[in-house]
Amino acid sequence: MKKNIILFLTFLSLLSCENSSKKLVKIEGTLIPIDEKIDSKKEIEDFVAPFKAQVESEMNKALSYTPINLTSTDGELESTLGNFMADLCYQKANPIFNAKTGKNIDFAMFNFGGIRADISKGGITNLHAFKLMPFENQLVVVELSANKLNELVHYLITEKKAHPLSKQVKLTLEKNGYSFKINNKNIDSTKTYFVLTSDYLQNGGDHMNFFKNPISLFKTDYKFRNAIIDYLKETDTVTVRLDGRFSYKK
Amino acid sequence: MKRRHFIQTSTAATAFLTLGGLSLQSFSKKTTKHITILHTNDVHSHIEPFPSNHYKTPNKGGIARRATLVEKIRKENPNTLLLDAGDIFQGTPYFNFYGGEIEFKLMSLLKYDAATIGNHDFDNSVEGLYKQLPHAKFDFLSANYDFKNTILNGHVKPYKVFIKDTIKIGVFGLGIELQGLVDPKMYKETKYLDPIEIAQDMSRILKEEEKCDLIICLSHLGYTYDNKDTVSDLILASKTKNIDLIIGGHTHTFLDKPTVVKNRIGANVLVNQVGCYGINVGRIDFYFDDAKNVTNKGVSITV
Repeated sequence: MKKNIILFLTFLSLLSCENSSKKLVKIEGTLIPIDEKIDSKKEIEDFVAPFKAQVESEMNKALSYTPINLTSTDGELESTLGNFMADLCYQKANPIFNAKTGKNIDFAMFNFGGIRADISKGGITNLHAFKLMPFENQLVVVELSANKLNELVHYLITEKKAHPLSKQVKLTLEKNGYSFKINNKNIDSTKTYFVLTSDYLQNGGDHMNFFKNPISLFKTDYKFRNAIIDYLKETDTVTVRLDGRFSYKK
Repeated sequence: MKRRHFIQTSTAATAFLTLGGLSLQSFSKKTTKHITILHTNDVHSHIEPFPSNHYKTPNKGGIARRATLVEKIRKENPNTLLLDAGDIFQGTPYFNFYGGEIEFKLMSLLKYDAATIGNHDFDNSVEGLYKQLPHAKFDFLSANYDFKNTILNGHVKPYKVFIKDTIKIGVFGLGIELQGLVDPKMYKETKYLDPIEIAQDMSRILKEEEKCDLIICLSHLGYTYDNKDTVSDLILASKTKNIDLIIGGHTHTFLDKPTVVKNRIGANVLVNQVGCYGINVGRIDFYFDDAKNVTNKGVSITV
C-alpha cells in the first residue's frame, strides 16, 4: 500500500513536470501567397455562389442612363464626370445641411484623383457607383474664412487640374491673374463660406490643407457613394456638360 | 467460469502494460511539440480573388483557396490555430449587401479560432457587429476596448487560452484608438484603454496565472508610424515582455518576413503582418522540447 502511494506521487510529479518543462526551441516564419497555384475548395465556392449571383445582379441593375461618356479627362480644367459628381453631391447634401443649420452650402469641391473610374455611354449601374467611389468617404461641410478660400483658389490655380467643382463656382484664368466668383459674387473678406467636400480631403488628403482646422465642421453622415446611388435612382437620364466653371479666358 | 475470469483480468493487465510501455516509449522518443499559427489581417470583405486584369494584384487572394491551404496545413499539423487581426468588414459589395454575415460564415467554415476587432468592424456600428456575431463560430478577443456600456458587453473576451498537444497558447486582442478614426455614433460608449498597459496586464495574467507556454497578441494598432509617439506594434513589442508573437493589422503592411524586435527585457518578439485583402496568409511554426533535452538556451529563429 505504501509503495502504491509512492508510485502514485511519482506519477503525479511526472505529470506536473511535463507541463512546466516545455521549452520553446525553434521558430520558423513563412509568408504564403494566395494565388492560382492553390485550388479553390469547392464547398466554399458553392457556399458563395448564390450570394455572388445576387450581388452581381444587384450590381448590374441599371439605375439611370447617360447619353454621353462621362470621363474625368474630357475637358481642360473641368470634366463631365467631375461636374456630375460635384453637382449631384451638392444637390443631395445641401438639404441635409440646410435642415440642420438653416444655411446653404456655397459650393462643392473634391479632388481629381478621387474619381476612380469613368462611366461609358448607356446604363449606369450600382457597379459604376462602386467603381467611381470604392472608398467609404463621407460628405462633410467645412466653414472657411475668406483667407482660407483664397488658399483654396490658389491651390486650384497652381494645380491646374480638373478637380471637381460644383456649378456655383466660376473660376477663370486670365493672362495676368484670375477671376473667382461664387454664385456670381466676388469673395467678401468679411464673410465665411461653406464648402462641401469629403472627410478624406478635409483631413488634408491630396494636400488640401485649407480644409484642415475649419471654423466649423459639419458631418453629414452621408456616404459619398450613397449620394451617387441615391441621385442615380431618382434621375432617369443624366444631363451634364462642360460649362466653363473652371477655364482659361478665351 | 473462474478460469475465464482470470483470462479476462490478465488480458486487461497485459493491455495496460502494453499501453504503459507504448506511452513510455513515445514519451522518450518524441519529445518535441509543434504548434502552427496561421494568420490574416485586413481582409476587408474580399471573398473572391482579384480579377485577372487587376492593375496591382491580378488573380491574388480568394477565400476558397485560403480554405484549401488551411485544410492542408491542418492535416499536416492538427495543432494549428487560425487567427485574424481585424478589419474583416468593408471593402466589397458583399459587406454593403449583407453586413458581414458572409464574412463571418466563411471564416467559421474555415474554422478560424479567434479574431480581434478592427476600426472598420465598427462601420455598421456596435449594433451592426453585434447582429452578425451569431454567424461567427470563433471568439472575438479585445482587451483594451471596454464594451461595458455597449450592446457588445459580455460578447468580447480579453483573451483566450488554447491547449494544443499540452502546449498552452494564450491569445489576447488589442484595438486602435477609435476617436478621430471612427465616427463616435458607430462605436458609441466603447472605451479605448491604453494598449501598452493592457498588454502588460495580459501578458502577466497569461504567463503567471494561466501558465501559458506561448503568448500571442492579435493587434490592430498598426505596424509603425512616422510619428514615433503613435503607439504601434513595434513600440508595443519593445515596451512589453513575455509576448512571443504580435500578429498585426490596420496599416496594410506587406512584410516579407516577421520582424524580430527586442522586448523590454531583451528577449525576442516576432511582429508580423501580411498586407491585406486575403492576398497572403502568414505562417509561424513554434517548436517546443522538454527542458531537460535542451542544451542550447537560445531559441533558433528562422524567418
